[in-house]
This record gives sequence, structure tokens and C-alpha cells, in this order.
Amino acid sequence: MKSKTNIFLLISFLIALSFTAWAYYQSNHKVGELTADKNLDKDFQLCNEQRIYEYYNYDTDYIGGKKQIKNTIFNDLKSLNFKESGLMTFRFVVNCKGEIGRFRVKSIDQYLKKNEVSSENIREIEKALIKLKNWNPGKNKYGAHDSYYLLNFKIENNKIIDIF
Amino acid sequence: MKKVFKIFKILLSVVLTAYSIIIIFFLFFSDKEKRYDFASNLQGNYLSQSMFEILKFQNPQNDEIYFEQSVPYNKRGDHERGFELLDKAVEYNPRVYLGYRGYMKLRFIRDFEGAIKDFNKLDKLTPNVIDTPWGEDIDFLRGEAYYGLGNYKKAIVHFNQSIENQGEDWAEIQSYVYLGNSELQLENFQKAINSYKRGLTQSKFVCEAHLGLAKAYKEIGEIEKAKEHILKAEKHYRYKRNDPYNEFLNEIYKTDIVTLKNDLGA
Repeated sequence: MKSKTNIFLLISFLIALSFTAWAYYQSNHKVGELTADKNLDKDFQLCNEQRIYEYYNYDTDYIGGKKQIKNTIFNDLKSLNFKESGLMTFRFVVNCKGEIGRFRVKSIDQYLKKNEVSSENIREIEKALIKLKNWNPGKNKYGAHDSYYLLNFKIENNKIIDIF
Repeated sequence: MKKVFKIFKILLSVVLTAYSIIIIFFLFFSDKEKRYDFASNLQGNYLSQSMFEILKFQNPQNDEIYFEQSVPYNKRGDHERGFELLDKAVEYNPRVYLGYRGYMKLRFIRDFEGAIKDFNKLDKLTPNVIDTPWGEDIDFLRGEAYYGLGNYKKAIVHFNQSIENQGEDWAEIQSYVYLGNSELQLENFQKAINSYKRGLTQSKFVCEAHLGLAKAYKEIGEIEKAKEHILKAEKHYRYKRNDPYNEFLNEIYKTDIVTLKNDLGA
């Protein structure tokens, strides 16, 4: 009888613990979050690793807007060749100091299905992105924060034709 | 003492079991609407996505769930997953979601041809209705998509249709700006001027229309009028059209104004 009570307690505890751990994990992770990778991100640092906001809630922006981004990097990228038409989406973090890093890419073809882009082209685009120095980090009344940002590269006829 | 300890262990086990049962009940058996609202309010959270998965398992053809689940993916740049979910919503309820999918293709990924296809399909499905995908007139959106493709003649047809759909005084003010921009591209400068002016009768603060007027007047050599409007564009720049998610195709920037102002010597 004693052991039955203990087993009942142990099982109910383990089940409750599992649910709690699952709910904790689920509520602390979000679609689109980018985890740090020392190999990829080198010495890029966030101000608060625990809280990275979304660009659309905190007005993360580049001085001069997307047009200025395009003007700054388009020339560097127009010679790149791609195999397929589609859209590459770079998601990265603008930290509270206005520095950028933690670049990650998702790419779709013209039918909106996943496709692969050569790592060489990805590196070239990252190199161009690093040249962008005039970021307005996401802000609220308490100050500047780390936030995610998106940049899309539209590819047609093997070339980048638009950045937005 | 041993008995008390045993009772305590049983009580604790009961509480822990009840806790687990409540979670299971909430996740799988509570009111569907409440669970949907819970998941919607936690947009983008893994818990929200898991709740949508449970709801989809229990209601595999509910279009609303697929739509709502797609939103954070598209906002956060995972368009493959976002559109995969949105395609399901369209499959189960094309009348409601074709327009939204077209809007997303137009504004979020600049897939202009895909957007036009969706808008046209929607139009065919609802022959006696002027559709308003995501709250915007269907012809305004079609005009914008053709403008994106550089097909200014077709863009003009749809912007004019949009103004007719909504009525001259109620039309989306940017349809006059796009109309002006399209005429400007086709070098129909007087038509461009007329279009911008029609927009400005609705509101004098439309800096995009003032910038367009400055460009058009410059082209026809009316420099004083061009100067007047570039200064107005500068004055009303704070009212410029922008959006937290995307750059509009006709979005203007301070540099556009400063460059033209310098050219004009204003």
C-alpha cells in the first residue's frame, strides 16, 4: 500500500512536471526566433538575449528607409547570379546599439516553395548588409531594444531585381 | 504521524493529477472559440502554434485556423510555411481568403502576378460584389500590382475603376497618387497633374501628390509651380504614407524631396 501511494505520487508528479516544462518551453519560444551560433555570428552581441522584439512593434528602421538600404547595397549585388527566380528573405537582429548580426536566410521559388541558394551568394549578401551602418534600433519609452528585422531580395532572370 | 504523512502524499498526488487533467481539458476539450482566441492572442508563440495544431486536428477543414496560424510566419519572413497554411485556408474558403492571399502576395512578397491571379479568381467567384481584400478596394490593389509590374496602362485602368467603385470623394486618396505616378511614367504630364490635383481636393496634406506635381510641372517647364509643390511636399512630409511591415511601392522619402528641391533651386 505504501509503495502504491509513492508510485501514485511519483507518476502524478512526473506528469505534472512534464506538462509544466512543456508549457514553459512553449510559452518562451516564438516563431522566427534566431538562436545564437558562435561560428556564424562571430562576436555580435545583443543587449538582452532574453528579449528580442519584432521590427513592426518597435519601429526598427534604417535612416532613409528601405530606399537607402537599396541605394547602399544594390550595386554590390547586381552582378550575383542565381539559379532560380524567387525571393530570399534575410532575417537578422538590430541590437540596441544599432549594430546588426545573426543573419539567417529563408528562400522560396516563384511557386512559393522552399528552395536553396548557394552559400556563396548568401555570404556576398551578408557582406553587403554589414556595410549598412545607420540603423535606428527598435525603441519604446524605456529606451532602445534589440529587435528582429527583415529584408527581402527578389530574384528574376537569375539576378536580384528588388530589395524591400 | 505516518498516517498524516500518507494522507499528505495522497492529497498532493490528487492535486498534481487534477492540475494535469485541467491542462489536458483546456488543451483538448474546452470551448473551441476560447481556445482559438487564446491561440490568436498569443500570436507567434509556440504555445499558440501548438494550440492551432490541436484545433486543426479536431477541425481539419476550418479555414480560419489555417489563416490565423499563417500570420506570424508571413510577418516574420517564413513565407514558405506562411503561404502553405494560407493555401489551405483558400482551399477551404476561397471567397474569404483569396483576397487576403492576393493582398499578402502583393504587399509582403511583391509577387505581383500571383496577386493579380488571386484577385481575378476572387472577382470571378463573386460576380456581383465589389470585393475589398483586407479592407482595400480590389481594383486599387490590382492597379497597385500592375504598377509593380511596370504595366502602367493597365494600372491606370484599375485605379480609374477603383475610383468609380468607391466614388470620387470616397476613393482611396492614394489611387489618385498612383494614377498620377502612372501617367507620369507614360509621360502624360497634364493627365498626371490632373490626377494629383483630384487627390489634393480630398486633402491638401498628401505629400506624395505634391511631390508628383513638382515632378510633372518640372517636366513641362513650369518651374515656379514645381517649386511651390516641392515646398508643400516638404511641409507635409510628416503625413507621408508608411506601414510598419512593408515599404509601399509609391512610398516617398526625404531624399526624394531634397534632391528635387535642390534641382529646382527652391
